[in-house]
Amino acid sequence: MPPKGSGKKKAINDGTATPQIPSLAEQFSYLHAPRPFKNPNYTKNVNRRAKNLKNVLTQERERERVERERRRQEREEAMEVDEERREELNTEDDMPFYTSIEAPPSVLPPRRYCDITGLEAPYTEPITGLRYHDKSVYELIKSLSSSAAKDYLAARGVNPILK
Amino acid sequence: MGGELNITRLPTPSPPSLETSDSYDIHRSQHTPLIIDNGATTLRYGFSSSTTPRFGPNVIAKYKERKNNKPLLLFGEGIDSEGGAKSQAKTPWEGDVLLNFDALENALDYAFVKLGIDTPSVDHPVLMTERLSSPLHSRALTSELMFELYSVPSLAYCVDSVMSFYHNNLPKTSSPFTSDGLVISFNTSSTSVIPVLDGKGIMNYSQRIPWGGSQATEYLLKLVQLKYPNFPTRVTSTQTSWMLQNLCEFATDYPSLLKKLKDPLNLRASERIVQFPFTLPVVEEKSEEDLARIAEKRKEQGRKLQEMAAKNRLEKLMQKESDLENLLTLRAARETEGRREWMNMLQAEGLESEAALETTIKKLESDLRRVRKKEAEDEDTMQEEPTFPLIDVPDADLDEEGLKEKKKQKLMKAGFDARMRARREKEREREEREADERRDMEARESDLSGWANKLRKDHEGIMNKMKGRARRRNELSDRKSAAAQARMKNIASLAADDRVSKKRRKGGGEDMFGADDADWAIYRQIVIFGKLDSNTAAGSSDEEEDMNQLRAIEEKLLAHDPSFTPEHTHASISSQRSALLSAFRPQYEEGDLEGRSRIHLNVERWRVCEAWFSPAMAGVDSAGLGEVVQNVLARFPERDKGKLVKNVFVTGSPSKLPGLVPRLHEALRPILPPEMPLEVARAADPGVDAWRGMADFAQTAEFQKVSVTQEEYEEWGGERIKRWWGGNWNLADISS
Repeated sequence: MPPKGSGKKKAINDGTATPQIPSLAEQFSYLHAPRPFKNPNYTKNVNRRAKNLKNVLTQERERERVERERRRQEREEAMEVDEERREELNTEDDMPFYTSIEAPPSVLPPRRYCDITGLEAPYTEPITGLRYHDKSVYELIKSLSSSAAKDYLAARGVNPILK
Repeated sequence: MGGELNITRLPTPSPPSLETSDSYDIHRSQHTPLIIDNGATTLRYGFSSSTTPRFGPNVIAKYKERKNNKPLLLFGEGIDSEGGAKSQAKTPWEGDVLLNFDALENALDYAFVKLGIDTPSVDHPVLMTERLSSPLHSRALTSELMFELYSVPSLAYCVDSVMSFYHNNLPKTSSPFTSDGLVISFNTSSTSVIPVLDGKGIMNYSQRIPWGGSQATEYLLKLVQLKYPNFPTRVTSTQTSWMLQNLCEFATDYPSLLKKLKDPLNLRASERIVQFPFTLPVVEEKSEEDLARIAEKRKEQGRKLQEMAAKNRLEKLMQKESDLENLLTLRAARETEGRREWMNMLQAEGLESEAALETTIKKLESDLRRVRKKEAEDEDTMQEEPTFPLIDVPDADLDEEGLKEKKKQKLMKAGFDARMRARREKEREREEREADERRDMEARESDLSGWANKLRKDHEGIMNKMKGRARRRNELSDRKSAAAQARMKNIASLAADDRVSKKRRKGGGEDMFGADDADWAIYRQIVIFGKLDSNTAAGSSDEEEDMNQLRAIEEKLLAHDPSFTPEHTHASISSQRSALLSAFRPQYEEGDLEGRSRIHLNVERWRVCEAWFSPAMAGVDSAGLGEVVQNVLARFPERDKGKLVKNVFVTGSPSKLPGLVPRLHEALRPILPPEMPLEVARAADPGVDAWRGMADFAQTAEFQKVSVTQEEYEEWGGERIKRWWGGNWNLADISS
């Protein structure tokens, strides 16, 4: 285990000014290190802490939508312009956004793997829905408690609500 | 059991070492570009003139020490120095998005302090990384931090993987960057595919999979916890990521690997064992003298108790003798006193009549006699037949008291007769059993194999019967099975109104169920002994009988038949674990604490990495790496496709996992035309090359052209950047 912070000895208060040996953690701490490069006039932006992930992503999505609307407008207007211009504008691709970059869901047929061992799983247990590799794994599944079965399913991403 | 087990000890974490600050003198007033690779796991920073960056885990903690109330600010590995700080650790990144700017500010502070910067502002042009298509919020606040708090003169953003690609395909000096290739970037919380054509990153055709190193670590942790639900120690994420980095790899062909691992021997051969630290419980060993002393003490106590008991008995004896004396005098007094007075005296003693007096006296005398016999250690003589004289005397001759006596004696005689009968029966049974055993022994001695065969057949028969019963019980619990339906029919017929036939109804009109003992047998078929799971012991008397018979047969076989080993017994057969499961998760004895603190990784080693190519198996609804590459390539014409696949480039720390390059080759080869050359390469140093690429770029003239200066920042705000080949193309840009 990493050593705990207090590796110091408290100086005996007898008037002699012996400097305290800083604890290990204090040596690592840079709270009191001089940081002259910071601008003292900078006031912290109130905006900074307010956003969490969900808000940021929604904001992005909004922006993407707005941008796409604008593009569509432009393109429609450009349709009325002559041929050459149209070709130029058509090659302008959609702007990539954080949310638009995300990969789509898979279209390949899903491979079935055993929830317990990870080997191939041709069979599914009807009551819990767990996939299993062979007879002996089936015996094991039968002896699982319902919460353990739910944990296995959650590892696969299936969250049964009522079982 | 010995043999070579592939045991790797979990490394003990080494204490963090204090980093020294660099000397700033070389860079003072030099305006050397400052390169910051702001990664979600590691922060790499340095001046572009260095060959390697400084780095540290990108996490800070603000902690107030309890003991002396000193506030601490710790970065990276320094957090390990203080145990309580870990819970306060914050990272600037939340998954893939830069959100916590307070943490970012502190991290950058640390970086600048270590670089030794002591000027009133950070007077260097900065090149920083950002996520592919980073949300504008993140960028705006980062720019604000850099320009307003640190007053940098200029700032440029880039995508880390493209810079790593640049470093590995460096153009000759002062010629533009025109390489083509497909960059696959492995980051902490995502994996992205970015096509680069003619030196320009084509960001809008790139795709990102929300699966990265951190998700893989979590998945491995979950798998380990499911496999070892009763593990003695808690497994932490740091330990799991160590296991991931050192023991896991990509399988070139996952389905065929699984087919190979189906065999328990291969499973055992492929496993890696991680030994976790454990503490042996201290066993207090009592020395010989201690044990002897304890035994002595116990004997003493026993002796003392015996003495006390003997004393008690003696006292009671005394008491009884004195009582007897009393009563005898009372009886004698009958002659002397008058009738009524004598009755009063009797009642004073608590006796109702003369007969009661007699019986009490008799009892006391017999008790005393018995005790004296015991003390004289006589043998237990056969009880003489008590005489019942009054039974034969007809009723008319006796008075009231005599009648009562007679009834009592009749009862006593009946009891005595019954006892004699029971004793005789027991003796008869014993004789029969002995005769059986003798016969059995003769059969065995004469024909051992025949006898053994017969017994073994019986053994099998009983086991089959038990299995059949277990199956029937399981069927009963399934509502739709034939057995359950038959049971319902039985219940319904019992409860039917017309159970009593017409004839009977004329006679009495009552249901005569139960008068005949055989009727109750139907309950054996109706009652399900609870929804017990198949492992509980016998639930009904039938099953108990079967178990007992089975046990008796097994004992005989075990004792006399050399070929019937304990493995054939019912107990061992029912608790047998399949070979596959024992190879998958070997069991250790109860007391083997060292063994129980081991984690065996066999299938997990490849299963976790397979999730990059198929995130659906871990619950993430996204296409896998192979499919995404296919999607990205599909948007290009054939000619460009050829240019891209000739130089497939893999970068990022998670790409250090072995087996990735062959796997990608296998995944891409089938989807491309056979004559198209396919080359997959990995960055020379997947973790640091991004920084190096940035350092290289910062020394070119182009760097200044793509940076946003302070004035430009003040005019446009933090979200706008200049569009260039290595940076993002987000909304606000100016075509260069």
